[in-house]
Amino acid sequence: MKEKGYLALILHAHLPFVRHPEYEDFLEERWLFEAITETYIPLINVFERLLEEKIDFSLTLSLTPTLASMLLDPLLQQKYLRHLEKLIELADKEVTRTRWQEDFHQLALMYHHRFTNARLVFAEKWKRNLVSAFRKFQEAGKLEIITCAGTHAYLPLALHRQAVRAQVKVGVTLHQELFGVRPKGIWLPECGYNPGDDEILKEEGIKYFIMDTHGILFGSPRPKYGVYAPCYCKSGVAAFGRDMESSKSVWSSIEGYPGDYNYREFYRDIGYDLDYEYIRPYINPDGTRVNTGIKYYRITGKTEDKLPYIPSWATAKAAEHAGNFMFNREKQVEYLYSIMHPRKPIVVSPYDAELFGHWWFEGPQWLDFLIRKINFDQKTIKLLTPGKYLEIYPKNQKLTPSMSSWGWKGYSEVWLEGSNDWIYRHLHKATERMTELARENNTPHLDGLKRRALNQMARELMLAQSSDWAFILKTGTFTSYAWRRIRDHIARFTYLYEQVKGKYIDENWLRSVEEKDNLFPNIDYRIYAD
Amino acid sequence: MEKKDLVKFTKEELLDLAKNLKIIGRYAYTKEELVDKIIKKYRALHRGERTKVTREKKLPKIIEKVKRVITRGRKKKIEETPVVIREERKIEERPPRPYWEAPVEPLQAMPQPQKEEVSVAVAPREEQFVFPRAYGDTKIVLLVRDPWWLHAYWEINREKEMELRQTLGEDLYRRSKHILRVYDITDIDFDGTNAHSYFDIEITGGADNWYIDVGKPNRTWCVDLGLLIPERKFLLICRSNIVRTPRFGMSEITDEEWMSFEEDYWKLFGVAGGFGLGSSPLQVKRAFKRRFREEISSGAPWSLFSFMEKKKERRFWLVVNTELIVYGATEPDAKVTVQGKPIKLRNDGTFTLRFALPDGTQHIPVEAISADGIDKRKITPIVSRRTE
Repeated sequence: MKEKGYLALILHAHLPFVRHPEYEDFLEERWLFEAITETYIPLINVFERLLEEKIDFSLTLSLTPTLASMLLDPLLQQKYLRHLEKLIELADKEVTRTRWQEDFHQLALMYHHRFTNARLVFAEKWKRNLVSAFRKFQEAGKLEIITCAGTHAYLPLALHRQAVRAQVKVGVTLHQELFGVRPKGIWLPECGYNPGDDEILKEEGIKYFIMDTHGILFGSPRPKYGVYAPCYCKSGVAAFGRDMESSKSVWSSIEGYPGDYNYREFYRDIGYDLDYEYIRPYINPDGTRVNTGIKYYRITGKTEDKLPYIPSWATAKAAEHAGNFMFNREKQVEYLYSIMHPRKPIVVSPYDAELFGHWWFEGPQWLDFLIRKINFDQKTIKLLTPGKYLEIYPKNQKLTPSMSSWGWKGYSEVWLEGSNDWIYRHLHKATERMTELARENNTPHLDGLKRRALNQMARELMLAQSSDWAFILKTGTFTSYAWRRIRDHIARFTYLYEQVKGKYIDENWLRSVEEKDNLFPNIDYRIYAD
Repeated sequence: MEKKDLVKFTKEELLDLAKNLKIIGRYAYTKEELVDKIIKKYRALHRGERTKVTREKKLPKIIEKVKRVITRGRKKKIEETPVVIREERKIEERPPRPYWEAPVEPLQAMPQPQKEEVSVAVAPREEQFVFPRAYGDTKIVLLVRDPWWLHAYWEINREKEMELRQTLGEDLYRRSKHILRVYDITDIDFDGTNAHSYFDIEITGGADNWYIDVGKPNRTWCVDLGLLIPERKFLLICRSNIVRTPRFGMSEITDEEWMSFEEDYWKLFGVAGGFGLGSSPLQVKRAFKRRFREEISSGAPWSLFSFMEKKKERRFWLVVNTELIVYGATEPDAKVTVQGKPIKLRNDGTFTLRFALPDGTQHIPVEAISADGIDKRKITPIVSRRTE
């Protein structure tokens, strides 16, 4: 029997560019380290096993240019290994320390095993280059890797077409450098779509992007199939809308699977729980307690008295939840097919990749179970990527989607409110200045130093535009780092602008900035000249 | 100071010196010009003798080098009145507005850099950068926040303000109000007079940005920043870009080729929104607004947040745990087991083990065997813990 519809699981893997060669240890660099150990490596392990066992799967992964750049950076790779060595050392001590507490002892052994496995996968197997792991899965036809805006800028507030174009171009160019092909799709940061931006995607040869539910549902003319079939924008680029039902069951921290009492409790970390002197060498060098990644408790219930985590129970739950998810998709697809047939619906379920493993410890297992169950336990749905759906159904309705995002309240308020609205004045001005200099110097034969300065200006501008800073400012806590990042990038941009205008470029200083903000080595400032 | 000494320096070194001598516009000069300016400035400083030694910090090497040369030239005088070099570190003359200041919370996790940055003495410093309040433009920019709200920011430069004062006269200018005039220009080629409608917002408190409640999705907007002069005349200062609020709700327009019926639309909508199969349009509409408030996407508690160590709030609580440290020493080459498990000795033959100590009694046999296997010692501490 043939399937009645498709499920497109999309993982959005993103972290902002955080790299501080000027510091030995830097707290925010741990974001990457934690994500590598807890999310990227476990996902790679899942894919690897499926491949070995010849179990078919078809997933979509957006690997953002900032994340890819960090994964490929030798300094961060080095720092990650050092971080991992410390973790292994700590896990080793934990194995001894917990000897008289069987539950914890087993968990300590589990972490020790996970961390040593991470070292093996990272250092030996992939020679520190995890991007090449994902590339391998793409080349095996199991993963459709899509790109994202250069530094994850929230495009609806970019104002200038030049800014949007540069963000898109940098993403596409880097993708091509890393994977040898042009990306079929793009993840618009925060699903932020503004009508007309699709024309820029079109220029770059992009076939599709993902948006939130209401972007399609409120599109005009009225979408015949809702979000269960893509629509073509005026430019001919396809828009796929997110399915909320499947999103909710995973995303929601209350109703969703990750809140199950048998799953691992995220907030009880030995970095906070254990004796200070003992844990001191493994937390932040300034002595602030931070998460280490070693967590011994399960969610337990609505109580502070947490009980020890029992991996086998959690695994059973992950299997159960995968079964439940699949069952719901089958029902959903049957229902949709009854309305839409002969057209087969596509259910688009995007998630932040870091949800899997980092926050929802059992997430990668759940995904593994889900893929296996879909293969063996049913025939109604099939995993598919948006790119392949377009090959099956090249003819789709034309409409103009509505401006939207997947942020809280569905529009731009997360990135445009009292705490962060002041940044746009500076970002927009910087874009104008960048465009001005790019046009004045729109020649491939520019003198080396000036060209370097202009390229670095483009990097600084883009780094300042990362939606992450505005987002952190909005959260109201831990805002100092985000504030500092915007300040540093705007400052570096402005100083460079003045130096280029003043016809004197401080090469030593430029070099020091190039060394710090070293992403996109092949960037060409003339992307701002159009 | 001699010209022939200075010309030996690279331009960067000269710029360094120029910076310390506070020569304005130094980046624009050629090397020759720089040399001249430095000599001039230097001599001016000396002639006046108005300088005192306020050199608090060790000077960067390059300045030392320059100084040595200078000293060679005019040794005696130098010793009496060395060059004034003050650290250019302007500290905080920040305006009271908060946004460009660092957040008040302490800057956590920012230890001092371990290595000196390259050319720290010359380089511009990010720490000194202050976000400008304005860029010397006269403009207003409009952004869309959601289907009902816009955000505008603007600035008026000094020339424009002067011009306005002159045109109106000081008295009239003062009695005029700065306003935003918000035009609904949906489907109109706007020329400043042909809007469907407009409303005014009086700007108060010297604001340079404003959230505008237009309350209408799916309309096109333009905003004029201007002066409302008594007698109700409006004087335009600048006009914004044009924006459109997004539609909120189902489009009335259907497409012949892709005919869709409202009933089907709501059926699919119900599924898409996660409200269950076959919900009624009314349920769906109501639930849809609610769903925007849920955190089921970017901003969910686990997203970037979770990397930032945000901890849960707890009520008053107390936790007590005990741990036991077992330590000792023997010959460095001896083999030691604790509870039957081999342990590693430090180079000097000492060892330390740390155990979480639960309630109950623990027998901890520690056994050491000499490297040649002849000597054997065993000590067994017994520890018990009881919690009341």
